[in-house]
Parts: sequence; structure tokens; C-alpha cells
Amino acid sequence: MKRILLLSMVFSFVFALSSFAQRTVSGKVTDETGEGLPGVNVVIKGTTTGVTSDLDGNYQISVPDDNTVLVYSSVGMATQEVSVGARSAIDLSMALDTKMLQEVVVTGYGIERAANEVTYQTDRVDSDLLMQGQQQVAGAGLVGKVAGMQVNVQNNGVNPQTQILLRGNRSITSNNEAMIVIDGSVATVGAFNDLNPSDIQSINVLKGANAGALYGSRASNGAVIISTKQGQYGQDFAIGVNTSVTFETVAYLPDFQTKHGIGWDGGYNAIENTNWGPRFDGVVRRVGPDFPDGYILEDQMLAYAPIEDNLRDFFETGKTVQNTVYFSGGDETGKFFMSVGNVSTDGIVPQDTYERNTLRVNASKKMGKLEFGINSTYFTDETNVVGDDIGDQDRPLYWFILNTQSNIPLSSYKDWDNPASYAHADNYYNAYYQNPYWAIGTNRDTDKTNRLVGNVYGSYEINDKLILSSRLGINRLAGTGKNWRDGQEYNEDLQPAHTTVSSFLEDSEFQSVEVNGNVLLSGNYDLSSDFSITPIVGASFIDYEYRDSEIIAVNLSIPGFYDISNGTGELGGTVDQSRKRTYGFFADVTLGYQGWAFLNLAGRQDYTSTLPEDDNSYFYPAASVSVILSDAIPSIASGNLLSFAKVTLSNATVYNDLGTFALNERFFQPDYFPYGGVNGFEQTATAVDESISKEKLNTWEGGLNLGFLNDRFSLDASLYRTKITELITSVTPSVASGSEAFLTNIGKLMSTGLELTVSGNVLKLRDFSWDANVNYSSSETIVRKIKDDLKEVALDDYGTYGTYAIVGEAFPQLKATSYVRDDQGRVVVDASTGDPLIGTVDAHGKTTPDYIIGATNKFSYKGISLSATVDYRTGHIYFSQGSNSMEFTGKSKESVSANRQDFVFPNSSYDQGDGTFVENNSVTISNGVMGFWQNVWNDIKENYVKDATAFKVREVALSYTLPSSVTAKTGFLKSATVGFVGRNIFTKLPEQNRFSDPEFRNTRSTDDENGIGIGGYLQSPPTRSFGFSLNVEF
Amino acid sequence: MKKHIFIYIFIATLIVSCNNYLDVNTDPNRPTSVTPELMLPVAQNYTARWMKTDRRVNHLGNMIMYNWSESAGFSWYNDEFQYLANSTTFYDELFDDAYADALKQYSLIASQDPATLGVYVASANIMMAYTYQILVDLYGDIPYSDALQRGTNPTPAYDDAEDVYAGLLVQLTDAITMLEDAEANELTVYPSDDDTIFGGDTEAWKQFANSIKLRILTRANGVMSSTDVSSELAAIVTQGSGYISADVMVNPGYINEDDKQNPQWEDFGEDSGGSETLSGQATCATDYIINLLQNTNDTRIDYIYEIPLSGSHNGVPQGITSSADAGQGPDDVSNIGPGVMAGYDMGATIFTVAENYFNQAELALNGFGGDPQTLYESGVQASFTSLGAGSATAYYGQSIDNVGYAFSSDKLEAIITQKWLAVNGITAEQSWFDLSRTGFPSGLPVSLEKSGLVRPVRLSYPASEVGTNAVNVPTSPNAFSSTIFWAN
Repeated sequence: MKRILLLSMVFSFVFALSSFAQRTVSGKVTDETGEGLPGVNVVIKGTTTGVTSDLDGNYQISVPDDNTVLVYSSVGMATQEVSVGARSAIDLSMALDTKMLQEVVVTGYGIERAANEVTYQTDRVDSDLLMQGQQQVAGAGLVGKVAGMQVNVQNNGVNPQTQILLRGNRSITSNNEAMIVIDGSVATVGAFNDLNPSDIQSINVLKGANAGALYGSRASNGAVIISTKQGQYGQDFAIGVNTSVTFETVAYLPDFQTKHGIGWDGGYNAIENTNWGPRFDGVVRRVGPDFPDGYILEDQMLAYAPIEDNLRDFFETGKTVQNTVYFSGGDETGKFFMSVGNVSTDGIVPQDTYERNTLRVNASKKMGKLEFGINSTYFTDETNVVGDDIGDQDRPLYWFILNTQSNIPLSSYKDWDNPASYAHADNYYNAYYQNPYWAIGTNRDTDKTNRLVGNVYGSYEINDKLILSSRLGINRLAGTGKNWRDGQEYNEDLQPAHTTVSSFLEDSEFQSVEVNGNVLLSGNYDLSSDFSITPIVGASFIDYEYRDSEIIAVNLSIPGFYDISNGTGELGGTVDQSRKRTYGFFADVTLGYQGWAFLNLAGRQDYTSTLPEDDNSYFYPAASVSVILSDAIPSIASGNLLSFAKVTLSNATVYNDLGTFALNERFFQPDYFPYGGVNGFEQTATAVDESISKEKLNTWEGGLNLGFLNDRFSLDASLYRTKITELITSVTPSVASGSEAFLTNIGKLMSTGLELTVSGNVLKLRDFSWDANVNYSSSETIVRKIKDDLKEVALDDYGTYGTYAIVGEAFPQLKATSYVRDDQGRVVVDASTGDPLIGTVDAHGKTTPDYIIGATNKFSYKGISLSATVDYRTGHIYFSQGSNSMEFTGKSKESVSANRQDFVFPNSSYDQGDGTFVENNSVTISNGVMGFWQNVWNDIKENYVKDATAFKVREVALSYTLPSSVTAKTGFLKSATVGFVGRNIFTKLPEQNRFSDPEFRNTRSTDDENGIGIGGYLQSPPTRSFGFSLNVEF
Repeated sequence: MKKHIFIYIFIATLIVSCNNYLDVNTDPNRPTSVTPELMLPVAQNYTARWMKTDRRVNHLGNMIMYNWSESAGFSWYNDEFQYLANSTTFYDELFDDAYADALKQYSLIASQDPATLGVYVASANIMMAYTYQILVDLYGDIPYSDALQRGTNPTPAYDDAEDVYAGLLVQLTDAITMLEDAEANELTVYPSDDDTIFGGDTEAWKQFANSIKLRILTRANGVMSSTDVSSELAAIVTQGSGYISADVMVNPGYINEDDKQNPQWEDFGEDSGGSETLSGQATCATDYIINLLQNTNDTRIDYIYEIPLSGSHNGVPQGITSSADAGQGPDDVSNIGPGVMAGYDMGATIFTVAENYFNQAELALNGFGGDPQTLYESGVQASFTSLGAGSATAYYGQSIDNVGYAFSSDKLEAIITQKWLAVNGITAEQSWFDLSRTGFPSGLPVSLEKSGLVRPVRLSYPASEVGTNAVNVPTSPNAFSSTIFWAN
């Protein structure tokens, strides 16, 4: 009922906006080869009324009279004006614009600028490219498509989360993510992830700190400016449907040994979670508890032999169905775009489901000199996945799967609820870790969220040179969640090692509201025939508020009833709130000379609530120039090769403030309190530097944009250097200082980087076309100074391994306990035991790549198009925490590399007792059957430092668009495209990296800002997807 | 002109309101300051947890002193059975938690104004001295004079172990003086329920301070000159409060809720739902201690260890790694007993009165005054009493070496052996320090995973210090040969 109501509202709105003019002109716009040109704007000169040509170049426009002049424009094409006269059909051939780069860049606050005028480097991803892989989350559709942008897809549950970094990591412990702007209003990565990707028109990426002058501190890591689809003035009403169905399967699992199965210390053991048994021999043996006589089950007897894909069979084929219906249109003074979207996902983990609904309304109206509008999206979702604190050891699901030996038919244990089944808790074979199917049935984490992101704006044309505009935006998230675990008791005789699993219910509510607004006065003056000036002055504010509360009930009385009233004993609970306000004033002036030289000066004064009252504001300036060399000195572009050349140079400073409430050390109530009437508060573990203040980033950027062969090819290059001083960092002090973290300003970091993008049309043969875009980015951050004579600080310290900032080294460095090596590089072993000595915790390399290459190739033939995006990252390492954690169980390939025998450690030596080392040819390691691997190999964490290089085919898309001759015949169809997509269909990792995707982060939550360099076992295995899509417009 | 005034007023209003506008940086969920009565119970609770929870101080003592072993089916104590004391991650929480939890919080209380809060300040200092002594006994040199300054000194220097001991005696003396001053001060604020150890009883605090001094002197005697020991003991007598007369326990009012039970019960007893914990199942007596208690007719056996379902005690040698030995599962063996761990609401003992008698007995034996046999027998009786085992007269009346004092060939061995039995399961780290210092009790087996009677004498500095305080942390001493100063 609700949906019908909604649809009827939509339609009535549509008809209200529709209007009819006196007469119609139609025709076809083609390029120089005669191919129809889609997306050409046809506008009545002197008005904003216009239409856009369809996929085949056809258009139809209502014109008031014969004196009308139509303006035809399209990106990369020379704009043409045509007088209509008495004609009713106008076909037009458009030529490539020699100033191809004269495209529009959306900069701060929705301000559109001709690309030539932009004095710093930007990049752009349009809807087609973004939607190429039919990604459920827009961020994932950006991977590999923008130089200098690193998108990490950090988990692969039913609702994947992404991290968007521009130009690498600049902050040691605070947020490195780029600022997100949606339709001119400041938003968040969460809001971006919650957008319906098919609502997005384009994404402009402002890579440098220059965006900071307009947006303030949050843009110090660059800005991702998202523009959602708008209707067009004068556009006919259109209805479109985008549908896709994708199927997701496990791409690969850790590469484990399949030679030894269940057992301990070389002996067979029927109830172990470990793989230290004898070599597989195929003999049928008991697995699991020894059932007493007369029990409902006979002992489970299984051949002691590996079962292929026994873990993979646990996972199902996931399915995602995405549907979007959109409506758009407009008349001379109004335009709108509306969409309704739904995503429904079944995950690869049985019973994991996700459902998302989105509704978008964008509309605007002109009333004389006044224009106002609204952009808004309402989002709801519902997640139901397996819980994370499973069993008596509070482990994630994947742990239970990984702790299953290769001789166990895991997928045969589905019937966990049946007491007469081997899958039942009392009968399950594994004495230490529970049946994963049981885990799925008894641990659920569910939540429902809704989000409203939108803004209203108005602008007033004071005169033809001056516009006053204002925008008020909101980003409101609210939700509730329930996370529960059912209790489980065990038969003590059958499962002596298990203790009762206690039940709990966590009932949570969370909400955040961010209100932001700005007012801008912008002008555009020609000072003389040579000079122009484009000034902007403005002010903006952001007010952010957050509240999260949770009530925890334990030891539930009624099984299967999940309400806090069902708990026994005291209820637990927390409330967490946060609030931050900032505002700022800014001015931005661009001086132009003859349309080929531009100077931009900008400054901003910011005020923040998070710094001390007497030091809570700061001013920062930015200056930049750009010169279109090919216009300034036309002779350089007069040859056949070079057709366009532009250089830019900019310098910008930005300050960053502190986190909310971080200024003051605070007390908290520890978990243990209160004890009845005795309450207690504890001093925070984080010590705060009394003189802590803002951090400063200064960036120089040089850019070069070249066009070749009449702009058929383009080369964009930028080189930058960012100096970060007084970095706000939470360093790890000695615990003997009485604190576990110390928030302070430290030293100096220097980031340098290079970005190159080459793109263009490689081949064009009548109907066939090959377009390519290759981007390369490299960036490196060197720690120049920390503090006083401090040489290193720990960032994420696990004792025997962790990430560090080390003076003189690239940041961050991964450290781990290492082998002791002699002067010839041989591994030093103990002369009597033969075991390698466990050395100190040493640095092994950096966790950020030397470079990332992304490439998208698109081949088109008539209506058929094949495109693919790949990316490659290398030069970095990561710590494979999953391999480290699993070593104890004897699953690793290394543990069978010497057939579980004692062996002479390769390339080793020992101390002869006098400090000289002799090659070890005879002393073998001890306890090769198990102890060596658990206690020596596993203690040298260097063994788990892995090359993080990865080559991934992220997206492949094949599509076919019906010819317009066919669609036209139908009389109602404007366009139709069917497609096939594949995502992550191929991944190549170095052989040593056997465990998982180095991109995944080692945390179950998404709270941790910088999960870099430590990869865990907490995420499900990497997946690949295939699917189909259908896009139709009426 | 009027128009201008309005503009000025408007701008002024804007600026003023903007100033208020930014005044939102106050955390509504966490206060920036609290009074000492809210700090003290947290600190004391941390002391109890540091001593009594899984893999903390008392636990380590029980593993090294061969009191506790592992039930079949568990792979719980691999590190302990291998004596991985040279590893920077072996029991590193002992160092980390001491500073990060209890000492941090005591230090904050110690920095309050003694003009009115003398009792708080003094008791915090006494607890700091208690903690620091154990840290010295575990690690040797430790951060002391530069420690706990948080952001002011993120990498504190290490003090010589012997200097720390000397400093602790001064710290304790000053604390006693402060308590005496506080008693004479009408403005003094006394703790009540928030002092979860003595309920604000200043005399009890002074006695505890004296008992810690006695522990220090007993251990340092020999390295400290006998003149110095004598004068310190004389000062205790002059001061007049005497020593503790009951076990020192932390008890904020433990209840049967997760995180709110007696910390030892929480880890080795039952959870709030009444199910036995994994650590409780995994931990049991060694065969050696069971035999010894049985052979000496020690009725404490049923209090220190739980009688298994079979009805007769059963211990497991340390270091059997096989996962399925029949007859040694959790229900077949003697787990931790009801005298050590009576229930979720029992107070957490951090210092036994029995030990205090044995410390007095040892110094009496060494000629510092007092009758060693009386003190010895009082110590044994105190142990029986606190375990609930009744009268010890029959026990110590036996003509068994290291049981009957008069019969014992080596009186020091008798004292130390009985102290080892008295602190079994309670403050067992003390018996480890005694073993390193005196070599008693003699004949204690080592884990089957180690050959030779080589047992660690200290811990390695933790990985955290190696990682974050590399400039100051001493190069890792050998945990098997580099003894603490009092054992030299």
C-alpha cells in the first residue's frame, strides 16, 4: 500500500511539471564519422531550456518561434549555434573541440568551473564507469579508476565497508580518509556508502589540500565530490529501470596442508581441533566423542583422508538483486530526478541477509532571478548476520571454520538442532570449537538503520555578475540493533572440554546528526578585455552530534526470547555521545588573463570546538596558478602531435584540529563497577599533552595536462610534496608512565608522490573503438622527526609485532620478532637444540605500496561494449595474523615442509662458543613433530611478514545496447542495455601469501580508523561475483 | 549613524554567540575530575585482579612452585611448562597491568592534598609500596622515581632494584607518619566503604605498612647490613602499631555478576550463570604436592585442593602434553580447593597473616629477637585458620622434617617450606621469591618439559618496554641465572 501511494505521488508530481510548447524541432547529432552522439546538450540560446540527445544522438526540442537559436554542446566537442528558422528537422555533425579539456569540474559547494580555470589537479569518474561492475556500494566502484586514490574494500560481508584514501596516509593515528561532499553539502563516508550508486551522475576528485580552503580541515586529505543525477530543463519525462542480479562465491581460501589430519603431537586424536595427527592413511577411524553403549548414535567413523574443498563447501553462493526505478524530467523552469531502489542480498555465509531501500528526490525550480531546490535521499537497511562472539571463547565464525581439519566433512554437520545428529552440540566431533552451523543458528547480529541525506538550496542572481547562494544540509543516521547469543549446555561425559556457553542480548540504539550550511557570494567580472576576476566570499558551519547506547542482558531465562526483560542479574549498559562544531569564513579569488592564465588566491579562517578556547581558530592560505600553454603560445600546439598543454602550480596550507573531547583527560567507570553502593571511576589510559595544538599540512603541487593528436589522447601528471608538522598523534609511551597512549604533537612527516594518467582512444575503426585509461600513482611518507631524541613510536603494537613510525623510514613500518643472523646472513641456531634463536623485534618494511596501477579498457563495437578494470599494488608488506594464529593448529603448509621430522634448519649456523659462527650441517631442530612449529617457528613473527602485492581484475563488464532503430520502433522504449558483469574474478597474490586478501583489515568493527598492515582472520574469505544487468529507459 | 550602531551590535552579538556556539567540547559521558573516594576502590580492585586473576601474579607463583598443573584435554599451560621466562611475552601483563591499572590510579590518589586527604594519600602510598616490591622481586630494576608521570615523562628511566627497596622503606615510613598526622587533624576526610581493604581504619593501614616493611627486611636481610635491619625493626617497634593480625583482603562487596565476582573465583570458579570456567577445569594439583600433603598428614589438603568425584585426591605432573590421558580429566583431578576459593563473595587475599608470622620467625631465627618456634607455629595455625582447617596443633606436633619445628633439621627450611604451603593458591609468588633466595623448599620437581633442576629466577622485561622504552629498559637479563639482588 505504501509503495502504491508513493508511486502515485511520484506520477502526480511528474504531470504537474510537464508542459507543452508551441512547436517541435528534432534531429540527430553525429560526430565526424557519422556515429550518433549521445548526451549532447541542445539548449535554446539565452535560456536554460534544453534537452539532451539520446544514445543514438536523436533529440527533440520544443522551440518558441522561428527566431530561436539552438546551442549544441557536448564534452569534448566544439559548441555550435544553429538558427532554427522554419526548419523542423536539424541534423548536425559536431567536430571535436581542440580544447577538449574544457570540461566542467565541480569544485567546492557545487561551484562548477571550466577545467581550464582550475588551478590544481582533479579527476572525474562518470556514472557509466562507476556502474561498470554493478557494485552495491559506490566506493567499491571507484577502485582502480583514479590516480592517487586508494580504495580499500575492508571486508566482504553482505554490507561491505570501504576506506577511501587520497595520496596515501598522512596522519599517523587520526583519520586519513578523504572528505565526502554530496551535492554541495559536506557528508560522510557512511553517507556515501549508503547512496544508491545508480543515482550518482559523476564523482569529481580534488586530490590535494587545496579543497581545504573551501571546506576546512576535513578536506585536508582531499575531497570526493559526488553529484547525483538531476533532471534537465526542458527534458521530456523519462522513466528508467536498472536491474542487476549478481552471484557471489568464495574466490579462494587459505592454502593449508592436506597431509596430516586430526591429532596431537604426532598421534591420532578423535576430538582435537588441531592437525598434528599422523600422515593421512585412509584408515577408517572414530572421529568425535566415544559414545556410550545404547546411545542414540553410533560412533562417527570416517576415513582418515583429506576431503577436497571441505571448508569451501560450507559457503553458499550469495545473491544480490538490485533494482532501481527512476523518473526524471523538466520544463523551462523546473527539473527533477527521483528514484526508488532496492538491494536484496543473501551472503555467502548461510543465513546472512541484507536488504536496502533507497528513495531519492532531487528537484529545482527557477523563478526569475531566484532558483531553489532540494537534493535528498532516504535510506533504510536491515542486516541479519551471524554474531561475532561465538562459543565459550568469544570467537568470530571464520575461526570455527578454519579450526576444522581437512579430513572432516564440514558441510555434513548442518543438522545442528537435531539431538540425534553428529552436528548436535553434544555429538560434534570438535572438543574445543563448536560446529559453525550451530554458531549460525544460535548467534545473530541484526540491525536496522535509516539515513536521511539531503539539502535545500537557494540562489539569487543579484545581477548578471553576482550570485548569492545558500545551502543547508542534513545527514541523519538512526538505527537500532540486537545482537544475541543463545546459551548452550553440554553433556559432561561427551564434551568434557566445553563449558556452558552463556547467553546474552545486546540491545543498541545509535543516531548521529550532522547539520551543515553555507552562504556564498560569488561574482564574475571582466575587468578589461584581457582580465577577468571571479571572486567568492562565504561562510560555512558544521554541527555534528552522535549518540550510541547499548543495554546488555545476560543469562537469559526464556530461550529464543530476545528482550532485556529476559536477562537475569544486573543489566549492563553504556551511553556514548559526541559533539563537535566548526565554522569558518573564506574568500577565494581567481584572476584570469586572456582565458589562458589564471591566478587563484584563497584563504580561510576556521573556528573549532575541539581546541582550547584561546587557540581555537586558525587562518590558512592557498595560492595557485595555471597557464594554458597551448593558448599562450599557440605555436607549440600547431604541430600534429601536441594539441593541448596546461601547467598548474599550487601551494596550500591546512590545519587539522583534535578529535571530539580529546583535549581533556577524562575518567570512566570501569566494567567492574559499581559494586552495590561502591562506585568507582578510573583515569583514562590516554595521557594528553598539556600543550597540544593543531597540526599543520603544507602541500606543493605541480601539474601538467597534455592533449595529443587533436586531444584524442591525454596525459595528466601531478607531482606533490606535503610537509606535515606538529602532527597530532597518539603514540604509545612506556606503560610505566602510567598511560597506555599519549596524545601529542610530534615531529615532521614528508609525503611525496607522483600521479600519472594516460587516457584516450587507442583505436577507432568505423564501428569499433578501443578506449583506455591507465593511471599510476606512487606516494611515500617519510618520518623526518618524532620528538626530541625519540627515534620511533608504536602505532599498533602487539608486543611481538606491530606497526611503527620510525625516523628516517617510510611510514608505517612493520616490525616483528626476527631470526638472529650471522655476518653472512645465515640463521643462527642454538648449538645444542638446533632451533633458530628468537631475535629482537625488527623493522621489515613498509605497509603502504610503492605504487598502484589501475587500468580500464573499453572495447566497443556498435552496441556491444566490453570493459575491464584491473589494479595492481606492490612494494608493501603486511602481517598475516591469520597464519600466525593458525600455526598452533598445524594447518600451515610450512608445518609439513619437512614431513613433521626434525631437520637441519636451512642456511643456518651456530656460535662455536667463541663468537665465531660455523655452518650448521648436522644439528637438527627439536620436536619437528609439533613443538618446533608451535613454540619456535610461531615465536619468530618474521615468518608471517608477507609481501602484500596484489593484482586484481576488479570489474569486467560486457553489455549490449539495442540499436535506436529497434527501440524507436517500439514507440515507447528510449534505450535498452543488457549486460554481464564480473567482479574480482581474478586475483594474483605472491606464492608466500597463502592466507587471505591483504586489503582486509584486522578488526571486526569499523571503528578503527587506520587498519593498515595487519591482516587478520576475522573476515570471511575473499569472494568473486558474476551477474547480469538490464537498464531500460522509457 | 543609528544604522551603524545596529550593525555593530549585530556583529558583537554574532561574535559572542559564536563563542558560546563552540562551547560544546564537554564529554557528557566521562567526567574530567572525580573525588578520591571514587578512585580508591578502582585502584584496590585492580590490585586484587593483578594478584588473583588468570595468568597474573599468584598464578605464576603456583605454576613455578609446582602447586598447580593441567588437567588432561587442555593445552593451557604450554608456556609455563616450558618455563618461557626468557620470552618478552611470558606473563608480561604482570609488568604492564601493574603500571597501567593499579599504580596509575594509586599515583593519582597520592597526588591529592594531604591537608584533608591524608588517609587517602597515605593508603595509596602503602599500596604503591606493596606493588613496587613485588615488581622488584619479579624484574629487578624497574621504573620507580621517574614512573607514573604520564605525558610528562613517556619513557621513564629505570631505578636500581636495591635503591627501590630503600625508597619503599622511606615511602612506608612517610605514609605511617602521614596517617598519624591525619588522625590528629580535625579536617581529615576518612574513607569508609570506598576503602575496600580496611574500611578507613588507619591503625590497620599502619599495621599493613609495617608488615610490608617486614617483608622487605626479611628479603633484603643479608644484602642490607644487620645494623640497618635492626634499626628498621626497632623503628617498627617504636612506632607501636605492630603487624597485621588478619589476612589482608580486598572486598568491595563481590556479587554474583560477570566482572563483579571475587576475581580468582571469576576465572577459576564459576561464571555468574553457575557454570565452571575453562581455567578452573584446566587447573589442578600436581602429583608431588598431593603426595607431600598426604605424607605429612596435612588436613589442609581438602581446603587447598578440591576432592575429585572419585573421592580421593589426584594430581598431574607438570608437562604432560598428551591431550587424552584417561583418569586425568577435569573431573578426575584435584582442582583448586574451597579454602583458597570459597565462592564469588569471598574477599581477595593479597597478604596473609601466616606469611607475616613466618617473616618474623625467619628474622627471629637470624637473631633479630623473638622466639622462632612460637612464631613458626603461629604461622602454621594462621594458615589453618584462614583455610578453615581448624586446629594445627596435631599437625605441627608431628615429628616430621619441616612440619614439627623442633624436629626439623634445618629451621630455615622448615620456615620457608611452611610459608610455601601457607601461601599455596593465595599469594604463591612469595614462595617463588623465597626459593630463589634460600633454595627452599628443597627437592621441588621441575616440569617434564625441562631437564635439570633449572627454574626461572625472574621474568624478562615485557615486550611493551622493549618496544616503547628501548632507551631505558636494561638489556634482557637471563631469567634462569640473573638473580634479583636479594638472592646474590
